Amino acid sequence: MKIIYTDSLVVGAGLAGLRVAIASKERGLDTVVLSLIPAKRSHSAAAQGGMQASLGNTVKGMGDDEDVHFQDTVKGSDWGCDQDVARMFAHCAPKAVRELANWGVPWSRITAGDRQVVVNAEKVTITEAEKAHGLINARDFGGTKKWRTCYTADGTGHSLLYAVDNKAIEMDIPVHERIEALSLIHDGKRCHGVIARCLVTGELRAYIGKATTIATGGYGRIYEVSTNAIICEGVGQALALDTGVATLGNMEAVQFHPTAIVPVGILTTEGCRGDGGLLRDKDGHRFMPDYEPEKKELASRDVVSRRMTEHMRKGKGVDSPYGPHLWLDITLLGRKHVETNLREVKEICENFLGIDPAKDWIPVRPTQHYSMGGIRTNATGESPQLAGLFSVGEAACWDMHGFNRLGGNSLAETVVGGMIIGKYVADFCEKNTLEINTGEIETSMTKMQQEIDELLVGKGTENVFDIKLAMQRIMMSYVGIFRNGPELEKAVTELKDLLKRSKNIGLKCKKRHANPELVEALRVPRMLRVALTVACGANARTESRGAHAREDYPQRNDKEWLNRTLSTWPDENALEPELSYEQLDVMKMELPPGYRGYGNDNAVAHPDTATREAQIAGILAELGDDADRFEKQAAIMPFDLPETLRPRNERLSDTIAVSGEK
Amino acid sequence: MTASSQTQTQKIHDVSSKGYLNPIWAARADKLQSATGLLLGFFIIMHLHFESSILISKEAFYHVGHFLEGGIFSETGHGFPVLTKFISAFMLLVVVVHAAFALRRFPAQIQQWRALRSQMTIMPHQDTKIWFWQLITGFLLFFLAPVHLYDMITNPAIGPHLSAERVYHQDVWMLYVLLLPAVVIHAMFGLYRVAVKWGITTKRMAALKLAKVMVVYLMIIGIASLMTYIVIGQSLELPVTPFVPS
Amino acid sequence: MSSPRTISFEIFRYDPQDPNDKPKMVTYEITEAPGMTVFIALNLLREQQDPSLQFDFVCRAGICGSCAMVINGKPTLACRTLTANFPDGKIKLMPLPGFELIGDLSVNTGKFMRELAERLQLWLQPDANDIDIHRLETPMDPAEAAKLYELERCVECGVCVSACATKQMKDTFVGAVGMMKIARFEMDSRDTRSAEDFYHVIGNQDGVFGCMTLLGCQDACPKDLPHMQQIAYLRRKMAQTIVSC
Repeated sequence: MKIIYTDSLVVGAGLAGLRVAIASKERGLDTVVLSLIPAKRSHSAAAQGGMQASLGNTVKGMGDDEDVHFQDTVKGSDWGCDQDVARMFAHCAPKAVRELANWGVPWSRITAGDRQVVVNAEKVTITEAEKAHGLINARDFGGTKKWRTCYTADGTGHSLLYAVDNKAIEMDIPVHERIEALSLIHDGKRCHGVIARCLVTGELRAYIGKATTIATGGYGRIYEVSTNAIICEGVGQALALDTGVATLGNMEAVQFHPTAIVPVGILTTEGCRGDGGLLRDKDGHRFMPDYEPEKKELASRDVVSRRMTEHMRKGKGVDSPYGPHLWLDITLLGRKHVETNLREVKEICENFLGIDPAKDWIPVRPTQHYSMGGIRTNATGESPQLAGLFSVGEAACWDMHGFNRLGGNSLAETVVGGMIIGKYVADFCEKNTLEINTGEIETSMTKMQQEIDELLVGKGTENVFDIKLAMQRIMMSYVGIFRNGPELEKAVTELKDLLKRSKNIGLKCKKRHANPELVEALRVPRMLRVALTVACGANARTESRGAHAREDYPQRNDKEWLNRTLSTWPDENALEPELSYEQLDVMKMELPPGYRGYGNDNAVAHPDTATREAQIAGILAELGDDADRFEKQAAIMPFDLPETLRPRNERLSDTIAVSGEK
Repeated sequence: MTASSQTQTQKIHDVSSKGYLNPIWAARADKLQSATGLLLGFFIIMHLHFESSILISKEAFYHVGHFLEGGIFSETGHGFPVLTKFISAFMLLVVVVHAAFALRRFPAQIQQWRALRSQMTIMPHQDTKIWFWQLITGFLLFFLAPVHLYDMITNPAIGPHLSAERVYHQDVWMLYVLLLPAVVIHAMFGLYRVAVKWGITTKRMAALKLAKVMVVYLMIIGIASLMTYIVIGQSLELPVTPFVPS
Repeated sequence: MSSPRTISFEIFRYDPQDPNDKPKMVTYEITEAPGMTVFIALNLLREQQDPSLQFDFVCRAGICGSCAMVINGKPTLACRTLTANFPDGKIKLMPLPGFELIGDLSVNTGKFMRELAERLQLWLQPDANDIDIHRLETPMDPAEAAKLYELERCVECGVCVSACATKQMKDTFVGAVGMMKIARFEMDSRDTRSAEDFYHVIGNQDGVFGCMTLLGCQDACPKDLPHMQQIAYLRRKMAQTIVSC
């Protein structure tokens, strides 16, 4: 039995995982990262548009600060997020951007003086301050009050991932590539590590660590068409779910991105619209202002995706062999802009569509894009149920996104969350000893070995690829952008049936090493359990909030549903998860639930909302007029951070006068 | 806590410590190879033009020859044939230096040669193919160029009849038939490579096209003058009397 | 629409872990669909014909660099190669040469790139005193940032390494990817390494002076990176560097 010991074990070598590994190693802890693929191939690299941080350098970002970023994030989440976490995040985002500049990210910089931009389909000239010259620039993104999204052309994720992985290489952090974690070693209270399989040799290994951090990204590939990389299959969430103890949070919160190309579902960045791109229907009509006169194309993602679907349902979509789609028009930005700031988009259009986006419209359709749900953690990133189990990034439900994530906040979450949670992981490793129970390790190992043996020598007859495709199609058809009771029921029933069938998978390829069919056979039942948490969670939540839109319950219902769905799978033979709910406490919120600013304000109010609003007014009145925004914030909702991350962020506006327009 | 991280990537020791003389020589070798290559390349262009003056007339070649032998500095106006000796000796030196540095590039082991051939089969690529021919021609020139230069050092007589005698009656045409394509291909593509290698031009495709045009052009004038010498050689009776313009 | 054609894939198969296996070419046939890429086709082959077929894809969008292979004699990214590009409907797939073969079309580019990064120290080495993440960042010339990003677009797919005959002949040669990255850090005003520091790493026969400018790298690069220009720049820079040894 091969056992590898370390202090800080990280599963997943994307931005979030690597950042945690760096934070551990910085404190002198032994650190090992496991990854399905070489670190630099991680899906983080696909994030194009940028990361939000309230630097406020550009003239269109002047007046921005943590408060505005926090408010945008909470509103974007449809009040489903954890406001403490959103605060921690907004406070540290500028630090992460500046840290990354020191690690090598060539952030796009501001050129002082006049510059032409496209705002609301019109060319506008903005004037950047002399003192801002050379500082980090930002572009506009949906659902934000200010231009806040820092970027490197449209390869921001790529630049960040390369810089962070280079840092990890510099620090000599080992990344064990082509290793798949398949189950957690735990005793019901404390997590001790993982059982993992080498995808090349087929060897099973136990990795034992003081802390185990899951940073495996989202579960987009439970859908047939997704912008996600094909490795984003939710196996990380299954690791936690299969403990029967740890919880997954808000799994039904799945985001659909408005502009993925048709039919392959590859993303074109929100930066296209942020920089001035428009959505058009089959008549070439720009339809978003008809639905959202204020925010238009730059409404929150969930809103734009729903409006696009609504518009296509009215017959305004462009017919294609792959079903209806709409047009994304970035021709008005001009060739130079497209070829410098939207290069990846251009390459994707050329290679996959054979069109030139500087002169042709791009066929797009809302497509599964992001998993707000994930492994439920508290504010320090640790599972409330299993000590020593941490999760970060898209894999987690740390919960700064609630029911809808703002564009630019995911890339930010990976590095900011990694920065914060990494410190808590290191704290945990310093405070705790390695607990080694070889009996427990052996039990976990044997169980895994049996699962593999069963597949290789068992008499199963089901084809794993068929089951996978059937699952993906169910998710597409019944757990999509708009959801309703009968369809969700159907999804749950059919997924349960598939889960049953998946216990009878038979393999054609019997190799123990390097066997792609075996890899699928191990993943698919895990994916099915994750898919069931999504479908069951969606079926149970009889309201509409953020990306979870129920046609039969169109109202946001704060009275009954201002809570977080928690799923567990205590009985491994069961066919569905157990759901419970964690209430969000309005009386502790800095920003009590209110109108998000889209469509009708039809929310059913929470009884505490008015009370909390009055309380906040009282607190502010007591502070008096000379209190600054930091004092006010601390009085309303104090939040904690690791000490080194507490200092305030310096801004250009601290040194030069802020030029009006909020 | 000791970790048993099984893929603790072994540190490959610093490349510069790999026993290559003084590291400054890496730069020098590359510069010298390119510099000698440039010199030889331009020399060849001039050389082929000068000796092609025979295509105009015997007189033209006679005057070019005498001019290059420093005719204006000699009282007789006939120049110093010994100058040809010196130039040839100098060029031989340049060739030796060039070859010495270029030898670094030769696939020294059979595995390297196999790797090159398999690369060219699996992934055909124009510039690699061109380089391959440079390699072959370079190898040929390694033998042919010194023979020619040695000939010119020991027997520097140049003139419409003397040269024709060498070409035809002394059977040196057999050398030239091999030497001409080898040197033209090697030199022209060599010049192209030096240009793109050091960033002298960024217009690679134009440079490559120019190199190809030059190869064709130099081959045409080279073959034409070689044939002219053969024709002249056939018409001469032995012993040959040097040509004197009337 | 005309009826879909049948295309054939001739694929290199070899499992180096199986002592009884020998390298061979195996031909598969598949019905082409509109917009089909080699990514789609290979997955269909695995799902429908041979589940043991090994290959690597991650992003399937030309971003991650996982799927480089030799397609009809050209090393490139399989995910964005349309089958329609081959009028005769015959597609021959080989693994990238020059890398450790994992099996069939899968090669270990990850290990290669990590070792290269360690060997050449391919990370930014800024002035350690200059780091305060709570303060305003140090300004950078916007043109410099844009230029650095251009060079950062490398996805470490390994195509330049495979396309380079020099590298194939000489295993210790760093290849274009190493030189491009060194050039990127050399141009970065935040990096404190001097030209001489870089010379010690790259100014040798295994580095920039071992490059014979065959330009396979530039011709095959799926990201159209300016290899010729950058390596020439690095060569000039290194050739001017006086090394005190």
